[in-house]
Amino acid sequence: MRAIVKNGIGVFKPQGFLDGNNASSFLNLEDIEATTNLNVDIILVSLKKVVFFNKNGLDIFVKLFTKVRQKNSITVGFCDYDEKKFIAINKFYAGELAFSLFKSLEIASLFSTSFKNQQKNILLYSDDKSQRTAMAIELHDYGHNPVVATTQEDFNEKSLNNSAYDYIVDYTYLGQMGEKIATRVTGNAIIYTVTAFLDAEIGNTFNIAYHNNSLNVGFRLFIFDAYKVVSMNIHAFNFFSKLSTSAAEYNATIAFVGLESTKIPESFIENMEDSGIIFYNQMDDILLNKELLKELGASSAANIKQKRVIDKDMIVKLPDFIDATVATIEMMTNSKALKEAVEVSKIEITEQEGRIASSIGFYGDIDGMVILVFPSKIAKKACELLIGESTDDIELILDTLAELVNIVGGKIKSLLFDHGINVNITLPRTYNSISGLLEVVEAKKGVQVDLAFDDDKFLFFLTK
Amino acid sequence: MITRDNINDFIDKIPPSPKILQETIRHLNNADLNKAAKIATEDPALSAFLRNLVNKPLYGFKQEVSDISQIFGILGLSGSQQSVYNYMLTLLSPKKWNLFNLNKTSFDELQAVFSIKWQHILEHLKIIDRDIQSAITLLPASIIVSEALFSKSKKDVELLRSVHDLNYNTILQRLCDTTLFDICIEISIKWDMPKVIPDIIRCASGVNPSDDKDINKLGKWMHLLLFYELSQPLFIEAGLNDFIEFNIDYVEDIYEEFLQVMGVQ
Repeated sequence: MRAIVKNGIGVFKPQGFLDGNNASSFLNLEDIEATTNLNVDIILVSLKKVVFFNKNGLDIFVKLFTKVRQKNSITVGFCDYDEKKFIAINKFYAGELAFSLFKSLEIASLFSTSFKNQQKNILLYSDDKSQRTAMAIELHDYGHNPVVATTQEDFNEKSLNNSAYDYIVDYTYLGQMGEKIATRVTGNAIIYTVTAFLDAEIGNTFNIAYHNNSLNVGFRLFIFDAYKVVSMNIHAFNFFSKLSTSAAEYNATIAFVGLESTKIPESFIENMEDSGIIFYNQMDDILLNKELLKELGASSAANIKQKRVIDKDMIVKLPDFIDATVATIEMMTNSKALKEAVEVSKIEITEQEGRIASSIGFYGDIDGMVILVFPSKIAKKACELLIGESTDDIELILDTLAELVNIVGGKIKSLLFDHGINVNITLPRTYNSISGLLEVVEAKKGVQVDLAFDDDKFLFFLTK
Repeated sequence: MITRDNINDFIDKIPPSPKILQETIRHLNNADLNKAAKIATEDPALSAFLRNLVNKPLYGFKQEVSDISQIFGILGLSGSQQSVYNYMLTLLSPKKWNLFNLNKTSFDELQAVFSIKWQHILEHLKIIDRDIQSAITLLPASIIVSEALFSKSKKDVELLRSVHDLNYNTILQRLCDTTLFDICIEISIKWDMPKVIPDIIRCASGVNPSDDKDINKLGKWMHLLLFYELSQPLFIEAGLNDFIEFNIDYVEDIYEEFLQVMGVQ
């Protein structure tokens, strides 16, 4: 079974009946490994469509969870259940719950480092005091405002006031939480979350290829969310110093947030500052300060050490890139595309009004970036298949557009693989205005292909 | 990916039911098993299908049964009609499955378990109705339709489903404003199946409840039976478990009773 991956959470969704005879047919180690390779920080099995389960069935999943947790240090567990199922699972594993339980996927996302919408007001309750505390700390660490109900009566009373809370968390249990370096994109900054004691292992857990490609595709600000770091040793210190030095070659900035000076030796701080790393107390000190963001490069990508140009290898593969894009948009819109013009040039967008854009990077045997510029009308139409209805909610459209570009990226990866070329894809980025896109790619040369879907123009740009 | 033209093309290519089958059904409707068997024997493929069916371990015969009259006798009027409809459906099955990891044997197996368990359910519900018993035969048509429409876009659909929670029925509805089950109903019309069959199948999709209380109840049982069988390892591994959406809420009121009928502990 394949997982659906969104916002750093991979979810498997079995349907029907689940027991010891069929659980391994629903999910095996290969399925989970394929999902962990997509850089998820939580893996869950949804019980929403499971009408019957027994302990033998769950045991098979729990064994897989244990293996994957030991290997990848990510959060694992079940989600989407009602009170009856929650009680049953607790009964099956009384006192031995090593995995997490999230009443809904929405609640699980509150505990994901990839969750974008922070500062939510959250009412939470568990009859286990240590769980209440653990959840409150985690939610607070992720930038939310948890309100803890201490008794069932207190919870019932508080939950009557629905409008006071963005989310209500109950029937939830935090098992061992992930320790993976989670990655999320906020605007033009990439945020890595690091936790616990940092040592030589950081060299293995940090995805350096992803980081280097992010530099290549124009990201200029990298923030380490270090609220939960206990301390670091000389190996981790050396790792970050080197990372900062290599970032400087691209005029990029490395920042640390939430790392208290008492946690690491003073000499480390001084030397890291000397190598260009900047320290901030709060994430909002950076993300809410537009001037500072501009200064740190998060709104611009013009100063690249080496201007990378599109090469022959890439041009040869151009049909694969275009085919992947056209086939995906055709699939999503059920309309035919016409190729109108192909030109090697800097990106040229004659009409900027009413257009949105999205990009995805790829790296491996070859590397580069695909940019798609949509008229809003086409973007909306393309997203309708995923959303299920027409919408004017621009946030929803941009979110869905990211999924669509992910599909394009996946198709490119698959087509290139058929030709013996291995690449990985980055997280997609979306731009709700063309000016934001141009700040990243204006200076870059690439191949621009103008396409028409029905009577609407659509732009494809491939660059390095 | 899929357009209304593709769907129309598929429906156009559904062959009318062969004359021998029409005649066999007509004699079964007239409760004349002997004449029905005589006609059925003229079709070697139908005869082979019936022999293969009855000699499955599910039926529990120690010695091979090969005579078509004897087979119809064993199956009875309802079972014989159901088996002929099952055979008709195999005429639509692909020679080679691509979207689902199925083959002739596993598809036959699915048809056979559906038929037997549906019969148990109807016995439990104390329903004796030949057409209602045959309704189950149309259910696997939804799988054949999915295979026919989506097999060419398998990789695209996989990519789509890796980022968003979508099943084949939903994709088809959003792209073409029709469902797998609407197409099954077209098949039933083309094959002159009794009206109660498409009515039950529509409900068994889990998304189209009926105003008719009795039909709706049968639709619920069939929907739950579908997912009971699609939870078997053979069919999970075939990729069938999530080809349509299981509507738990729809079957909530019959769930406990279903577990008893199926003997689930």
